[in-house]
Amino acid sequence: MTYSQSPSKGGVNPPDDSFVSRSLRIANAAVPSLAVIPLLQHVGAAARCVVQPGDHVREGMLIGAADGPISANVHSSIPGRVVEIRTLRLPDGAICPSVVVELGGEFEASGKPPKELPWENLSRQDVLQKIQAAGVVGLGGELFPTHVKLAVAPGATVSLFVANGVDSDPALSADFVLLREKPLQIVQALRICKFLLAPTRTVLALGSNAEELVSIYERALREASLDCQIVVLPSRYPQGHEQLVLGSVGDGGTQTSSVILNVGTLYAIYEAVVLGKPLIERIVTVTGAPIKGPRNLKVRIGTRIGELFEECGGLSGPVGKVVIGNAMRGLAVESTETAVTKGTTGVVVFGPREARTRTEWPCIRCGSCIEACPWDLVPTRLYKLIKQGDLVTAEKEGLSRCTGCGCCAYACPSHIPLAAVLQDGMSTRRQVPRG
Amino acid sequence: MAERPEQGGHAALIVAPAPHVGIPGSTAGMTWSVVGALAPAAAWGIFMFGAAAVFVLVVSVGTAVLAELLCCLVSGRMTLSDGSAVLTGLVIGLLLSAGCPLYVPAAAAAFAILVVKQSFGGLGRNWMNPALAGVVFAQLSWGASMARWLPARGVAESGGLPPLDALRAAFSTTGWSGRTPLAVLASSGYTFSGLDATVVQWVNAHVLSIVGVSLRPGFFDLLVGHVTGAIGTICVPLLVLGAVALLRRGVMRWQVPVAFLSSFVVLAFLFGGLSTGQGWFAGGAGFQLFSGSLVLTAFFAATDPVTSPLGLRGRWVYGIGLGVLAFVMRFYGSLGDGIPVALVMGNCFVPLIDRATPRRQPENARKGVA
Repeated sequence: MTYSQSPSKGGVNPPDDSFVSRSLRIANAAVPSLAVIPLLQHVGAAARCVVQPGDHVREGMLIGAADGPISANVHSSIPGRVVEIRTLRLPDGAICPSVVVELGGEFEASGKPPKELPWENLSRQDVLQKIQAAGVVGLGGELFPTHVKLAVAPGATVSLFVANGVDSDPALSADFVLLREKPLQIVQALRICKFLLAPTRTVLALGSNAEELVSIYERALREASLDCQIVVLPSRYPQGHEQLVLGSVGDGGTQTSSVILNVGTLYAIYEAVVLGKPLIERIVTVTGAPIKGPRNLKVRIGTRIGELFEECGGLSGPVGKVVIGNAMRGLAVESTETAVTKGTTGVVVFGPREARTRTEWPCIRCGSCIEACPWDLVPTRLYKLIKQGDLVTAEKEGLSRCTGCGCCAYACPSHIPLAAVLQDGMSTRRQVPRG
Repeated sequence: MAERPEQGGHAALIVAPAPHVGIPGSTAGMTWSVVGALAPAAAWGIFMFGAAAVFVLVVSVGTAVLAELLCCLVSGRMTLSDGSAVLTGLVIGLLLSAGCPLYVPAAAAAFAILVVKQSFGGLGRNWMNPALAGVVFAQLSWGASMARWLPARGVAESGGLPPLDALRAAFSTTGWSGRTPLAVLASSGYTFSGLDATVVQWVNAHVLSIVGVSLRPGFFDLLVGHVTGAIGTICVPLLVLGAVALLRRGVMRWQVPVAFLSSFVVLAFLFGGLSTGQGWFAGGAGFQLFSGSLVLTAFFAATDPVTSPLGLRGRWVYGIGLGVLAFVMRFYGSLGDGIPVALVMGNCFVPLIDRATPRRQPENARKGVA
């Protein structure tokens, strides 16, 4: 039932300080006094604002309605009053309205024991409807609306469904801790997904740094008598990437008939379908050298990341850089006022020394970037082509396969920003017509 | 830059593209560690040849640094700290005889930095190894001065020639008058140190007599570098020690030196005897391996990433090609021990090798990446 797979080629071993956060249970972060909730927290169109300043909102009330076929609902994470609809620039550069809610009033859901609702008698359409209503999106960072991913076209068959439990970055332990603490809920969610997709084969992929989960899930799956194979993959970065997981787990078949969901998303599906709860909080790994007590927090969407530092015992020194996501491909933010969104897998804090830009040396053709690239590219060559403006040749040599995983730049002894330039080249290439 | 947390947030956080972490080392650090790895061999050279070796090394390193400084002033970019000029100067000095006139290291280093490296755009853009190209330039210009050898400490009675040159001289006067190169040297009157005689005698009597073989006189001197030769090339064990340290730290990759040395040894063993009338399988491969600048070049010049192919397959092709060129230039060439010119010739083929060994089409492409 369980077997290990050899690693995909390339990849790197970034520093991993997750042993602290791994050992601790998920803690509930304090409810924020102010929640800043962007209406674009997913791939696709921003949600349409359905509240006005001055409105009173309840916990979990819809404040942004999905707008178009690829969009997702957004809910208020706290009860209170809408003080402002503010247009904000998100860390990735997108500009969208954000609903600012000031805490007040009564908690209707939190603090009460969750009540499980039966879902077995519901139709597929009804279950999908529940997932859509709850605003569930891919919580591994991909942020694609989940109800779209789980909707199988009539007549189509899904050959492979994968629950991805391999950490996107070994230093982020949110998925691991969730898997360890919520096996019954995850197995329930697996059952829901199997019901929706009717896949030929179902796989739970775990990282090799999470061997202790194997026995937990072997037992949980056996007790639930759910047919699901456990596959252990090397936890070398970026093995958690969807394409690499599918490449390792799949049997070489077409990926078009495969569906892969992150385990955080599975838990959100469980909450949406079984508890009827919208997606208003997520698990965030808070880590980095200046953080006194790195840990995994259950955080309400809209909480400003600066408030999370106090939850982790405060800071032991000055801060030079704050990154949302992971250290390999996360976005550095300008301010700790930035709000946690559905896509915030982690917050990584760097001291001033670690944050400084390292001296860049000329490329000495050492080939480290080639060895590190999981996608079989020659990053140094693509970098030179992009710098020369020759995007056509760069594309011929595979530029479009670059996923921005950052391995090339990580491995470069000359500290050349290969990944950033390659990603730049890709976005430029997308803007100009193909020639 | 935020120096201390302020109330309600942190002023001026650094915003930079991902990744926000990287490997600990740097290109400059790698270059300086190569300089460090060559230090033991350099120290041995200074011990064996005395102050004359110091002068040669100081002049070669000093000229390289001054030339680099001149280029920094012209271009306005300070590149001295990347260590490449010091390394180039050091390699040049180590490849020269302690007895050569001081204008030789100066000219070789100036040529290496000014012409070979900086005129092509500096570190990373030169297509020939600067140090070895500088040495070849000097060999072509002042061949006779470069062959002015200084006898090493304790081996003065040998006639002052390195074993390889002495073998050539012996062959041209008396022909091949023994079975192995060391036997030829012995019969031509080439003498080794007293220590060598003691050690070889002891080993023959107490260790090898058990299995019925014996070492030739001179074996020990050749092995530990107790011979005349270029300053940094004579002590192979110290060179290997430095190379192993670099391999362990991941600064150096093993494919090129292994391919280089093994293809050279195989060719020398198979065909090395043909040029002296010894026939097949009589090349004295061990003697050839330990002589001249082969080991230093294989570990510290052929591994120069700037002038090596990018890919792994290309590196194997390059290494084997270097072995072939080194064999041809040593046994049939006329330029010193043939190794520097072989390396520089190998450099010329690198763009061709890169072109001929493209990346295989990756599997990921087939799997339909969106």
